[in-house]
Amino acid sequence: MRLIGWWARRVASAAATLTLVSILIFAASRLMPGGFAEVVLGPFATPEQQAEVSARYGLDRGVVEQYGLWLAAVLRGDLGTSMISGEPVTVEFLLRMPVTVELTLLGVAAAAVIGVPLGIVTAVRAGGRGGAAGRLAGGIGVSVPEFVLGSLVVFVFSRFALGLTIGGYRPLDEDVGANLRSIVLPAAVLAFFAVAVTARTTRDAVMGVLVEPYITAAVARGDSPFTIVVRHVLRNAAMPVLVVLTTITAYLLGGAVIVEYLFNLPGVGSYVVAAVGRRDYAVVQAGVLLAAAVFVVLNMLVDAATGVLDPRLGSAGEAR
Amino acid sequence: MRRIGTVLVAAAAVLGSACAAPVVAPTVTPVAPGLLAIADPAAPPGGVLELQIPIDTGAASGLDPQLADVAVSWQLMSLVYETLVVIGPGFRIEPGLAVSWETPSPTEYVFHLREGVTFANGRPMDAADVVGSLERLLAGPGVWATQVGPVASVAAVDDRTVRVVLDRPYTPFLAALANTPAAVLPMREIAAGTVDPATTMLGTGPFVAEFHRQDVLWRFARRPGYWAPARPAADKIIVSIVPQESTRIAALQNQSADFAVLGNVDAPQLLAGVRGVVALPQATTDFYYLMLNNNAPGGKFADPRVRTAVNIAMDRTQIAAVATAGLGTPTGVTPAGLPDACDPAALPSATADLDEARRLLAEAGATDLSFTLTAFSTEPAPAVAQVIQQNLARIGVRVTIQQLDEGSWAGAVYGEVPARFDAALSWFAGYADAGMVAQWWKPEQAQFNIGFMAPDAGLTAAVDTALAAPEGPGRPVALRELCAAVDRDAQMIPLVTRPVVVGYRADAVSPTVFATEGYGNVLRRAADFRVLGR
Repeated sequence: MRLIGWWARRVASAAATLTLVSILIFAASRLMPGGFAEVVLGPFATPEQQAEVSARYGLDRGVVEQYGLWLAAVLRGDLGTSMISGEPVTVEFLLRMPVTVELTLLGVAAAAVIGVPLGIVTAVRAGGRGGAAGRLAGGIGVSVPEFVLGSLVVFVFSRFALGLTIGGYRPLDEDVGANLRSIVLPAAVLAFFAVAVTARTTRDAVMGVLVEPYITAAVARGDSPFTIVVRHVLRNAAMPVLVVLTTITAYLLGGAVIVEYLFNLPGVGSYVVAAVGRRDYAVVQAGVLLAAAVFVVLNMLVDAATGVLDPRLGSAGEAR
Repeated sequence: MRRIGTVLVAAAAVLGSACAAPVVAPTVTPVAPGLLAIADPAAPPGGVLELQIPIDTGAASGLDPQLADVAVSWQLMSLVYETLVVIGPGFRIEPGLAVSWETPSPTEYVFHLREGVTFANGRPMDAADVVGSLERLLAGPGVWATQVGPVASVAAVDDRTVRVVLDRPYTPFLAALANTPAAVLPMREIAAGTVDPATTMLGTGPFVAEFHRQDVLWRFARRPGYWAPARPAADKIIVSIVPQESTRIAALQNQSADFAVLGNVDAPQLLAGVRGVVALPQATTDFYYLMLNNNAPGGKFADPRVRTAVNIAMDRTQIAAVATAGLGTPTGVTPAGLPDACDPAALPSATADLDEARRLLAEAGATDLSFTLTAFSTEPAPAVAQVIQQNLARIGVRVTIQQLDEGSWAGAVYGEVPARFDAALSWFAGYADAGMVAQWWKPEQAQFNIGFMAPDAGLTAAVDTALAAPEGPGRPVALRELCAAVDRDAQMIPLVTRPVVVGYRADAVSPTVFATEGYGNVLRRAADFRVLGR
């Protein structure tokens, strides 16, 4: 019963958050100078053409009415129609989602496969050269902005292609090899940051666990280092790592805008940014709302997973 | 440590030499009159051409060529649609879907249509398609109807002959017919409702559009049965939409793209020395212009003396040299590079000195003039704005530059009537005849500038006289007078032409590139492009 109450509160909180986001993004999109008809139809459009387009997309109605209609449609699962392409926004997002999902999977996989072991190694060898090198690498990875690293990669690989392409994305289902050649570099740029953050978080979490009495007891029992790490350290250090991996996933699913832009990947992030420039309101609103929803849902799932991984926190959560 | 020091010294030396290096405009020698490159006819046909361009068609009005009002749409649609006449090197009017034409009188044109032309669905094109297309264009809301001119009637003489009668002489008529919005459409299918040109591209051109994802990709395939023998040469053209300039440059360098349209005026320098890459600065008739809002708050530019003073202070040569890296050219309202265009150095504003500008400001009581210049962020517009700012500082006018994204800029400039901005920077497509763009100096007709520009009867008369002046010795005179009238009016002040850079890999493609382009169409001869084996 307490669990049901906990979930009910979380769902209500999520709904309130998303409602607030919807109001903010709707208001912001309408406050941007330059309307859709002026921006997209251009200066040569006649007032009649502008009025026709405005009427077609309901832009001639009052702002509150527009918001109400949009929200009602969203609740029915209709994210609206792109005013640029005339296609449903859902279709447009589904077309671009494979790029974003592919980037996200590669980035998160690299974070999990490289970042977690790297964090463990640097924590276990904290006093040695390996630990110092790991800390340095992690610091650089976290500090170098994506646009700097991305621009550098574009520059370097424009001179030394090594078979990798820039700006010529090909879908996975069209040509696997060409797809991988076009996605390796942007994925590597994203992974650089994701690996660094994950490694640092893992290192801090593992170092926190390593000083616990039960680790000392395990060492005293003569457990092997592998057993200690797998059985005791990983389980107890997993939560912050899980949180950071979730945050990275949510961030990347929302669209890695800079990397998509630099490498000309037709993902969700660059699509929404382009929509802002052209005042394609339905796309902007849906993009921001979906990104917020991804964050909210993933956070709820992490909270739930937290209870499973550490029953003490689960009980605390229930008690609250 | 010593090695690090050496590297730092070397880096400083490289940076220092780069900073000290003078900016030299690259010069390209035409391979033939009006052409920077000619596709090698000996190269075998076939192959896939990978192209990159910065923006896609503006799709709010769909794919209807008659509603296309930006160069990128003309360019992409020209792969599928064709016009009665085409623009050749040096702006010669050449046969297109019409093999020949006569002008029995200054207001009458008779076109003889090419035999063997079919639409991509296999149906032969005939005179009814030509008549229907022109009538549809003239009756529709597309902006090109204005440029096609005062057409009184269009009629089919027979299946292969079309007669067009104008209300009055209009010299740019053929040049206007050569642009994509005047393309011949499949009118029988449109009338029957089986083809909607807003969503389906069905033309007589060398390619068919196989696939389009907005803002991502176009794929065009060679059309079997195209009327010109052995054309198009390429099997496919894949056009990627790549907004980021540096990505397009990088793609050329690492062979991800065969051909790219570049807007960065420094691209020739950036690509110099890159093996296999050719960067050709192509002149265009497009030009930047400065808008001085006649309705600006406080009446800053309502006094023509103030506008004239600002105009006198414009150093077009400096703007061209600094902001466009020497690739642009000073221009009057008749775009530089077009036949019979006026000499911008002979404009009244160009022959006056800065003391005259200061005197005019003093007379108008505007010695303390300051204003905001609204510019968009696409290069090289910000650089043009900065040089304007420096130019005006010479006569004591203070300019604050407001740099906006294109959407916000459009809202600020066109969003209100009367407009509330002080001054703004923009550019016009210059088209393919020296008189055409001057139509936009008639705000009562153009409409888009009615919010910031007051109609001027004298200027309107000068525009109409220039447009009606027949080819011959009288036309340059009429165009010169038009330039002077626009210069004196100074509500929209022409500055410098806007160049593009055509980049391609010489080991991947052999293209035909015009030296000067009027409709922003670098793919004008795409059917001739040869894809080479690397």
